[in-house]
Amino acid sequence: MNQIWIIARLEIRRAFFSRRALWVYLLALFPAALFLGRAASVHYDRREYAAKPATPAAILDRLPAGTTDKDALAAAGPPIRDRQWRRGEVEHRSLHYFDGYNRVWLQFENGALKTTRRLPLHSFEQDTRIYAGVFQYFYLRLAIFFGCLGIFLNLFRGEMIDKSLHYWFLAPVRRETLVLGKYCAGLIAAAVIFGGGALLSFAALLSYQTSADLETYLQTDALAHGLWYLLAAVLGCAGYGSVFLAAGLVLRNPIIPALVMLLWESINGFLPELLQKLSVLHYLQSLCPVPAPLDPSAPPLARMILSPAAPASAWTALPGLLAVTALVLYLATRAARRLEINYGGE
Amino acid sequence: MSDDLIRFDRVSKFYGDVLGVNKVDLRIPPGITSLVGPNGSGKTTLMNLMAGLIHPGSGTVSVRGISPFAPEQLMRILGYATQYDAAPRGLTGFDFVLSGLLLHGFPRPDAVRRATHAIETVALTSAARRKIAAYSKGMRQRIRLAQAIAHDPAVLVLDEPLNGLDPVVRAETIALFRDYAARGRHVILSSHVLQEVDVFSDQVILIANGMVVAEGAIRSVREEIHEHPSQYLLRCAEPARAAALLFTHAGILEARIDPGGAGLLVITRQREAFALAVQRLAVDGLAIDGLEPLDENVDALYEYLIGGGK
Ligand SMILES: Nc1ncnc2c1ncn2[C@@H]1O[C@H](COP(=O)(O)OP(=O)(O)OP(=O)(O)O)[C@@H](O)[C@H]1O
Ligand SMILES: [Mg+2]
Repeated sequence: MNQIWIIARLEIRRAFFSRRALWVYLLALFPAALFLGRAASVHYDRREYAAKPATPAAILDRLPAGTTDKDALAAAGPPIRDRQWRRGEVEHRSLHYFDGYNRVWLQFENGALKTTRRLPLHSFEQDTRIYAGVFQYFYLRLAIFFGCLGIFLNLFRGEMIDKSLHYWFLAPVRRETLVLGKYCAGLIAAAVIFGGGALLSFAALLSYQTSADLETYLQTDALAHGLWYLLAAVLGCAGYGSVFLAAGLVLRNPIIPALVMLLWESINGFLPELLQKLSVLHYLQSLCPVPAPLDPSAPPLARMILSPAAPASAWTALPGLLAVTALVLYLATRAARRLEINYGGE
Repeated sequence: MSDDLIRFDRVSKFYGDVLGVNKVDLRIPPGITSLVGPNGSGKTTLMNLMAGLIHPGSGTVSVRGISPFAPEQLMRILGYATQYDAAPRGLTGFDFVLSGLLLHGFPRPDAVRRATHAIETVALTSAARRKIAAYSKGMRQRIRLAQAIAHDPAVLVLDEPLNGLDPVVRAETIALFRDYAARGRHVILSSHVLQEVDVFSDQVILIANGMVVAEGAIRSVREEIHEHPSQYLLRCAEPARAAALLFTHAGILEARIDPGGAGLLVITRQREAFALAVQRLAVDGLAIDGLEPLDENVDALYEYLIGGGK
């Protein structure tokens, strides 16, 4: 136990600051950057509309279909924008108002009100769903996947390339201990980087919500959601990490395990139930607190790939994922016992 | 089992289908033992097998009763300075030796003390705080030696430890080996020049093409080399008669009729005498089609070793 910690401490600097790790940080920080960008744009929109005349929602709502544009203008006052165009026989006109919260478009055809379109400046609902989508489709599937590839594959393979692996083998530690020590170092680095990235992006998501939305969310689900996202990110690192650590022990070429894993995780929905259980993503999905948006009109094949069957509850997914990780780590220690120093071309 | 030998029992190691070592049997007692052989003969392979960096394809290795499959025990008593020139990235010489000791589980103050001492022993104190990447070849050689001796191992394995050392450091290093050996420890080192190591070695093991060709105290190895028997194929029509005639002359160890019918296979220690005897056969009227040495390679190896690789 003590030895695992000593190894992890010696190794952790390399895991954090390896030359090969720069893009890992970029991947981890991408969602945060994305939502900070969103925050900036919402902020900008708010400032812009704050300067514009607000028309009480009551007035805009009271206009029935068929109202003429003249009457509407008389009732609601000058619009923020007034656009007119002609298509075929139909004369279109769109009057744009702001009711203090929603952007409203009154759309006329041949001078009669046809529809009233209302869009909130931004919708908290929608943003949390976008966040869920980014988290599941980008963060879990790609960012953490490739980040762990970078961090964990290098634990052994990187040292073979550097021709320094034998220093570990010449230490009085069991190979099993060595594997676990290096795994811990990688896991700490990955968990800090990707857990941090998840929290940062979640904070970015909350940073621009209206105080009313934020307050309700904070009082209800915010803490739980944040924790589940963090947990899913960290467990993703644990799961993918074990697989790539093992791959780095056995294989020389990093592309092969990456492709095989990516394929395996994507076709997972088509596999027999038993094999489905040997997938990391399978479990991660149900750890995410908000279901990711999925366009119901997507072709069934795409739907199958994007959202394969997953265990019903987070509480069954958790031990499942840990069991898969433990199994892979066990196989890795077996491989490490047989591993030989062979730097090739010596 | 209390056992102070390093044992190889019919150990073979192939890299794919390249031969590393073949059916090696060895019993190495404490003291300074030198593995000598030309490039690619299998010295590094034997050392890696001892340290468990590679595992035998068949046969077993044990080091003072410990299997190399148990690094957690073996590495407590074994220090190995490999021929791999690389050091972990970005470490200073001191940190490099220190990290090894921390892995051994020494408490930090103890580890610092030992690291300082080991670096002093290899005369690198002034460079200890510099990055290994900036070291010269000889300095890297020495820092690896420092790491190997830092935990005071009972078995010291050194792959070509004298390469790249200047005469002063070289003499000090040899003194260190002697000191270790005098305390009943193993010092195993390799070289491809017999002359470089024979003065201070208690035992020499000669290796060629993955096989041990001679082992023992340096004097007996030298004799063995001198008296190394040579094989010849004597091409002639009447091998039986030739054999009868040849045995009347001294110096023939063995003569066998070649089952393939090519002639007579002869093993002798005295090449000149044998050559004269063959000439006499011809004079006596025996039809001789030719005389071929069969193991020129081995002969050449011995010439090479005795000649100090010149
Ligand atoms: N990793 C490897 N892969 C394939 N063949 C190898 C490997 N290591 C060694 N060999 C082969 O095994 C044989 C013995 O090599 P070894 O390194 O033990 O020789 P050596 O005596 O140490 O040589 P040198 O004096 O050059 O260090 C050589 O034929 C070599 O080509
Ligand atoms: Mg060698």
